[in-house]
Formats: sequence, C-alpha cells, structure tokens
Amino acid sequence: MNLVGDNLFFLLKGAYYTLLITVISMCFGLMIGIVVAVARLKGNRPIRWLARGYVSVIRGTPALVQILVVYYGLVDYGITLGPLTAACAALSVNVGAYLSETFRGAILAIPKGQTEAAYASGMSSWQTLRRIIFPQAARVAIAPIGNTFIGMLKETALVSVITVTELVRSAQLLIAQYFVNMPFYLGIGAMYWVMSTVFSWILGTIEKRLSRAY
Amino acid sequence: MIQTSGLSKSFHDLHVLKGIDLRIAAQEIVVLLGPSGSGKSTLLRCLNGLEDPSGGSLEVNGIRVDADMPASKKRASFRDIRRDTGMVFQQFNLYPHKTVLGNVIESLLIVKKLPRTEAESIGMRLLERVGLADKRDQYPSRLSGGQQQRVAIARALATEPSVMLFDEPTSALDPELVGEVLAVMRELAGEGMTMAVVTHEMKFARQVANRVLFMDGGIIVEEQAPEAFFQHPQSERARKFLNQLNER
Ligand SMILES: Nc1ncnc2c1ncn2[C@@H]1O[C@H](COP(=O)(O)OP(=O)(O)OP(=O)(O)O)[C@@H](O)[C@H]1O
Ligand SMILES: [Mg+2]
Repeated sequence: MNLVGDNLFFLLKGAYYTLLITVISMCFGLMIGIVVAVARLKGNRPIRWLARGYVSVIRGTPALVQILVVYYGLVDYGITLGPLTAACAALSVNVGAYLSETFRGAILAIPKGQTEAAYASGMSSWQTLRRIIFPQAARVAIAPIGNTFIGMLKETALVSVITVTELVRSAQLLIAQYFVNMPFYLGIGAMYWVMSTVFSWILGTIEKRLSRAY
Repeated sequence: MIQTSGLSKSFHDLHVLKGIDLRIAAQEIVVLLGPSGSGKSTLLRCLNGLEDPSGGSLEVNGIRVDADMPASKKRASFRDIRRDTGMVFQQFNLYPHKTVLGNVIESLLIVKKLPRTEAESIGMRLLERVGLADKRDQYPSRLSGGQQQRVAIARALATEPSVMLFDEPTSALDPELVGEVLAVMRELAGEGMTMAVVTHEMKFARQVANRVLFMDGGIIVEEQAPEAFFQHPQSERARKFLNQLNER
C-alpha cells in the first residue's frame, strides 16, 4: 500500500483525466442526445432515418471499436486527433446515442394533452418543446441520465488503449515501473468506487430536489 | 364567426366526419350532442387544427382553411386561428410544472411576448374572474378537479380569444364539482363569448345554448333550438339518444 501512497499524486492526476473525460463526454453527449431525440421525433423522413441509423450503429458496435476508429482509423483520412480529443470525441458520440434513447423515451412519456394544450394556445412546435415538454421530460430522464453518468465514469477505462493517461493507464505505467500489480489495481479500484459513490450521492440529491418541485 | 362546409375527416379508412356544414354566429352558444364516437371531439379539434381536416373547408373569425391547401399555408392559417381561439379539454391538461399563474400567463409571455409584469396583471384579473386568485402560486396537482378546470378556462381566455371551444369540460369531474365549472361557463356566455360546447350536461344545454346540434355517425343529424330539441326530437336517433340519457 505504501507504493500507492508514494505515487498518489500520479494516480490522482489519472483520476483527474478520468473525471475530465467523463464530464466533457457527458456534456457533449447530452447535446447530441437532445438533438438526435428531437430529430427522430420531429424530423422529416431522411432526418429520422439518419438519426435512427446513428443510434443503431453506435449501440450495435463496441465502444472500444468506436474509440479505435476515431483515434487510429481517421488517421487514414488525414485526420489526426490527440489522444484526449479522440477519447472525448468517441465517447461523446457513443454516449449521445444512448442518451438520445433516454430523451426520446422521456419525451414520449409526456401525455399528448400537454402538447395539444400548448398548440391550442397558439404556441409553435418548438416553443411547445422548449417550454412545456423538455422541462417535464427532464424530470423523467434525470435518473437514467445519472446512471449513464456513472456508467461513463467506468467506461473511460477503455481510452487507456489510446494512451490517455487516465486511471487505468496510470496504474499500468506504475506497474511497469515497480513490477507489482495488486496494490495499484486495488488503488485505482478504490478511486473509481469513491468517485462513483460521490456522484451517485450528488445525482440523488439533484433528483430529489427536482421531484419536489411540483 | 365559425363556418365549415363539407368538412370531413378520416383516420386511415375510418371516416369520422362525413361532410359537416356548420355555422356559428358571433356571440352564439352552440352545444354539440351525440353518442360516443359520433365525431364531436374530432369536429371541435378540426376547428383549431388539432386534427388536420381531410376534406372541405372551414373559416374561423375570417381566417379560412381549405383541406387541400399546401401544408405550410394550412399550418400558418391554423396558427392564426389558434391565437384567436381558446380550448378547454376534458382532462384539463394544465402544465404540471408551472404554477396556476404560470399556466395562465404562459401564452401571454410566449405567444404574445408581453413583459412579465403586464402578463401577470392580466393573469391575476383572469384568476379573480374564475375565483382562484388566492391559488396563484400553487401547483395544479394541489387543486381539486373543479379548480383545475377553472384555471384551464382562465388560461384559455388569456389571449382574449373571440371563440371558445369546450370538449366535455365537466366529464372528468366529481358530480359535486361540476357546478362551479358550469357557473364560470354561464358567466362567459352572459358576457357574449362565442362558444362551441360538447357536453352531456343537459340542463346547461337547455338553459344556456342558443342552438343544439345533434351528431351521429359523423354527420349533423339535427339542429334545433334547445327547447324544441329536447321536447320534440325529430330523428329516431336523437329520440333514442335522449331516452338513453333519461334512463341514467
Ligand atoms: N387519432 C385518432 N386515430 C384514429 N381514430 C380516431 C382518432 N381520434 C378519434 N378516432 C375515432 O374517431 C371516432 C370519433 O371520435 P371522437 O372522439 O370525435 O368521438 P366523440 O363524439 O367525441 O366521442 P366521445 O363522446 O366518446 O368523446 C371514434 O371512433 C374514434 O375511435
Ligand atoms: Mg369526445
């Protein structure tokens, strides 16, 4: 355990990258998710078809393959991304597909009467979404979004394969240096667990506050 | 004020409205009666474009919609109609995430783009009118059904519509709460509002309506003054309908 203590700063830096990638990917993923959900529900035929194709491909292929495609694959077309950029891009696109399904379900869960009341009062389709549907759908979606967030935190381990020095790769580098495995793996395991628990608690608090509103 | 000619509506191969010719004059109160599934709601919803008419044409307060107009033009016309029309639903459909006052002023803020203070003073006047000024900061889930429906009426009145459409506004209410909603509607009628009302409240129809339309199977079967209709229904179908009501 001393080894972990001695290298704590190095590991914490790894945790920082894990967190950074999680937060950035979730932010972009949320934006992608909303746009794709609306595209699937309100778009014309080609747009709906495109959105469905995107969700189907992302959900039907391993995240690891998506990461490899973005980091190594795009190089063939002259697009060279740094490891961190590639990691965030790939994970954003990945989680966006899952979140779009969450949003779509949440929007569909709002009774039709809400849309009709808004339309009848003269509101446009977009005004109705923004003012009436999204705020109610957000409440429905918040719990699954929280789960996705925690899932994302753990999924970032995958980007260690494209040399992003997040937690897993930090541990691997230390292992290569000291020739012992267990303390480092247990150490980062504990760090993942602490982060998951803290975020679960924060998300739980947000959820409670939201459901108290009305 | 409201006029339809040859208005029809189909859902796939189900013909729900089969050529409706309707005239409602300004300040007139028309009650639509008819058995379940006869197309009353569909007719009302065609008038403000919640349903897209399949054939014929309609005109509300001078704004005309032909069923075979290009889609974008139709949408624009219906948007104009909706700004001048209020609708009250069986299930209230209040916005649960907004307070009572928030519900009433939403269209003033978003459609009319009034500043909040002005919208709120209009909203409070309307809430006073339906007797719910003291509930302004409550969420709808805290109100009784009758109170919710009165808020919904205030909300529909916010943009000063010249026509109000009511689709069974008291059917979801406990019997003891029906009266307070009907009272608000009577008052509105007394102020000269043009109203099309689908309801099973026969007393309201008798006392408030200028005219009763009886629908069955997607057509208007009969059209009379209320007293005449209730005492001497002319069609067999209307007689049967009234008998069934009396048996309940
Ligand atoms: N969106 C829809 N899709 C398919 N069929 C529909 C739709 N809306 C209504 N219908 C059908 O149209 C017919 C007329 O319905 P409508 O709601 O207008 O009747 P109604 O006279 O209002 O009846 P009620 O008294 O039960 O409210 C019914 O057979 C109904 O099933
Ligand atoms: Mg109906």
